[in-house]
Amino acid sequence: MGIVTDKLPGALEKVPGGNVLVTRFDEIINWARANSLWPLTFGTSCCAIEMLMATGGPRHDMARFGAEVARPSPRQADLLILAGTIVKRMAPRLRTLYEQMAEPRYVIATGACTISGGPFIYHSYTTVRGADEIIPVDVYVPGCPPRPEQLFHGLLTLQKMIKEGETIREPGVRRKPVISALPEGVTMEDIQGEMKELLVKENVVDVHQAVDKLKWPSGTNDGS
Amino acid sequence: MDRETLQAAVCQLDSSIRPLEENADRAAVVVEAAALPAILRRLRDEPEFSFAQLLDHVAVDWIDRGQFELVYHLYSFKHKHFLFVSVFVPREDPRVPTVCRLYPVAEWQEREVYDLFGVLYEDHPDLRRLFLEDDWIGFPLRKDYQDDFMLDRPR
Repeated sequence: MGIVTDKLPGALEKVPGGNVLVTRFDEIINWARANSLWPLTFGTSCCAIEMLMATGGPRHDMARFGAEVARPSPRQADLLILAGTIVKRMAPRLRTLYEQMAEPRYVIATGACTISGGPFIYHSYTTVRGADEIIPVDVYVPGCPPRPEQLFHGLLTLQKMIKEGETIREPGVRRKPVISALPEGVTMEDIQGEMKELLVKENVVDVHQAVDKLKWPSGTNDGS
Repeated sequence: MDRETLQAAVCQLDSSIRPLEENADRAAVVVEAAALPAILRRLRDEPEFSFAQLLDHVAVDWIDRGQFELVYHLYSFKHKHFLFVSVFVPREDPRVPTVCRLYPVAEWQEREVYDLFGVLYEDHPDLRRLFLEDDWIGFPLRKDYQDDFMLDRPR
């Protein structure tokens, strides 16, 4: 509880006697969901080497973002990282895996093949042209294959979407998918710097700013 | 044996064996379809060659010539040498005797070539599709294959 009360002051208040008072469920649930995305081990071709193997390893270390617990069972996963070409014969299995995942479930499509069919879009008898023909996709990460940093960019985009956009009042409402492409002129060093900055920011909470943000609208609080 | 000596030695086996006209980076010979199992058996069993492994079996669609080229990639653990054995069959009636009695791995390799090119292997014990669905119509790696799903590149 210490982490929650430190990180989300205003949403969870300590009251005397050791209990807590929960004021905003959305904040806490979204915070928990965004920081414990468990990906499903799903790699169908070369992107899987970058997306799951390289990023899961100690050099890039997906564990920093709470997304390292790759699950071999869709029942225990809530993030589907599509890494690789989807062919016609794989498509029904992919749909089954997606439907077996528990709500809320998120999908990141990485690489040219899962976004559009990539190099196999023309004259191919079997490549599905984009995974979004089969399942809804939340974040697209372009590249062939994308660098691990680009997947992190997509992962952070998804976390931001979860933290800002989700509410338990309207469960199952899908947002518009976003493309998490690197803007022009941005280098890998910039991304790495941004990641470092974000990690520091995540660990340091400006309590006063957070309290201001979470304050009840004026006039509703009779006490002040 | 180096490439040239091996190719010459294999051609000495039978009068129907001739070297492949194209440039290959390994020894390559062409044999007749009917004589294929007998020649592969000699290549496998004679200690001079001892090609114990069938590395791969692939097909090439030469649509201009109206032929399929079936290539058997052989490797010898003992002598560490490679050999390509090519068989040319007509596209209209692609039939070739199976070699899966000699190399058990050929059973699936031949199923794959049947799946994608429609080459019929005579006396094959289980000639079914390997990768595609069982109800697939046509053989997609043939150069003239078309279906409704395929997209043409816009001009």
